[in-house]
Amino acid sequence: MHDGVFFEDHGIPTATVISSEFVRAASAQATALGSGEYRTVVVAHPIQPLTREEVRALADKAFDEILARLTR
Amino acid sequence: MTDDYLDPTDSVAVPRKTAPRPASLDGKVVTLLDISKAKGDHLLDRVEELLRERTGVRTIVRKKKPTFARPAPDALRAEIVGATDVLVEGLAD
Amino acid sequence: MTDGLPVVPPTRERVARAVEACGRAADELIALVPPNFGRATVEKIAINAVMAGCRPDYLPVVIAAVEAVCDERFDLHGVSATTNSTAQLIVVNGPVREALEINCGANLFGPGWRANATIGRALRLVCVNLGGAVPGVVSMSTFAHPGRYTYCIGEWEAQNPWESLAVEHGFAPTDSTVALLAADAPITVYDQRSRTAADLCATLAGTLAVIEHHKMTHWGDTLLVLSPAHAATIAGDGWSKADVRRFLFERLQWPVRELVPGVNGGDGLPDHVLRKFADPAHDATLVPKFRAPEHIKLVVAGGTAGRFSAVVPGWTFSKGSNLVFRRIR
Repeated sequence: MHDGVFFEDHGIPTATVISSEFVRAASAQATALGSGEYRTVVVAHPIQPLTREEVRALADKAFDEILARLTR
Repeated sequence: MTDDYLDPTDSVAVPRKTAPRPASLDGKVVTLLDISKAKGDHLLDRVEELLRERTGVRTIVRKKKPTFARPAPDALRAEIVGATDVLVEGLAD
Repeated sequence: MTDGLPVVPPTRERVARAVEACGRAADELIALVPPNFGRATVEKIAINAVMAGCRPDYLPVVIAAVEAVCDERFDLHGVSATTNSTAQLIVVNGPVREALEINCGANLFGPGWRANATIGRALRLVCVNLGGAVPGVVSMSTFAHPGRYTYCIGEWEAQNPWESLAVEHGFAPTDSTVALLAADAPITVYDQRSRTAADLCATLAGTLAVIEHHKMTHWGDTLLVLSPAHAATIAGDGWSKADVRRFLFERLQWPVRELVPGVNGGDGLPDHVLRKFADPAHDATLVPKFRAPEHIKLVVAGGTAGRFSAVVPGWTFSKGSNLVFRRIR
């Protein structure tokens, strides 16, 4: 979250992709850093046991939201 | 009495704004920042393909943090800030 | 704002007494505490120390511990956010250990000593209240462990046949220091019968082999707490600390083919390491458990009645946390 908040603060639209277990942690962290409106792109947890193809499928699912997060 | 208890916490939050968004990614430089957590590269590989297929991005730059366990080093942050329009970071699980 | 246990109310008067005892200005900034970067001034640390139940004269130890965990090499950011179980272990060396009656003997990791109970607790409260490591919100540890209530021990220098941990790392025996390790819970190692250094170290290796995961490699700073009896057996054979480390390091390595994911467990060498080998499933190259012998840190402490040691695994992925020292002022 520190990176995302830093880049936004420096004028760079940022999409941070996290897994669903970390939504609360990410939002608490962003709020503590003063960027409560910072929002993440969430994919299903867990990631570590997945195959390459399964992870790529997560990207397919999240792609529209990534674009939406980067543009107006 | 309670007025005399001191606060063990410290709030340091300075309100920050998020960056203004472009209308589209046409002609933009996109940086994909890998946080070095296993499998994140697979996700970003696919995001890169989709960006090329479906948007008019000018350039895609791939960067990698040394470790997911810390914020990106200052030098890497500075390098990215000077050279990109937007950024995708992942994958934190 | 607490660890769930009752706290001592941090009244203005109690906090002032603690600040006064350490002889530093209340508003002196000691560190910014990751991940929220709250300002740990002497007064803010004192408030948390009072809440934890510290005596005023413990404050310099707490301040040194806060300084150490906020050192970049400790990576408190990662320690406070990880899904792993780590907690901040404080190891105290030097004259202050005796002056403040910090336990280094029987019941080493257990209750019974105010200094151990409250200094470790104060550091935990600082990490939550100034660092933001709120359990279940920012701290996403799956299990954590009881050391997150308090985790503070002394080294028993008088029972140590070698140099103390602090002296080995460049401090004088007259210096009082803290060493901070991002540490998992201690694992007891039973060995009543070994009479030689080699036999005993083989036992210790057996426990070190399985920390984190039996196929984990490239591990970093980890503490081996030798009981006085075990230390005497090893030193009695003429072994130095370096000999112990070398023996353990050499014994703790396995061929690539035994570390491949899917062989004896689904986890194993990460992809970027596997890629270095043409045919990992048949490769005999040895990969060590620890990145270097120096990562095995030796301390002598604990009761004199039993022949046990304890392994305290670090949280030390390749660019993760390291053992960090601070002199107590």
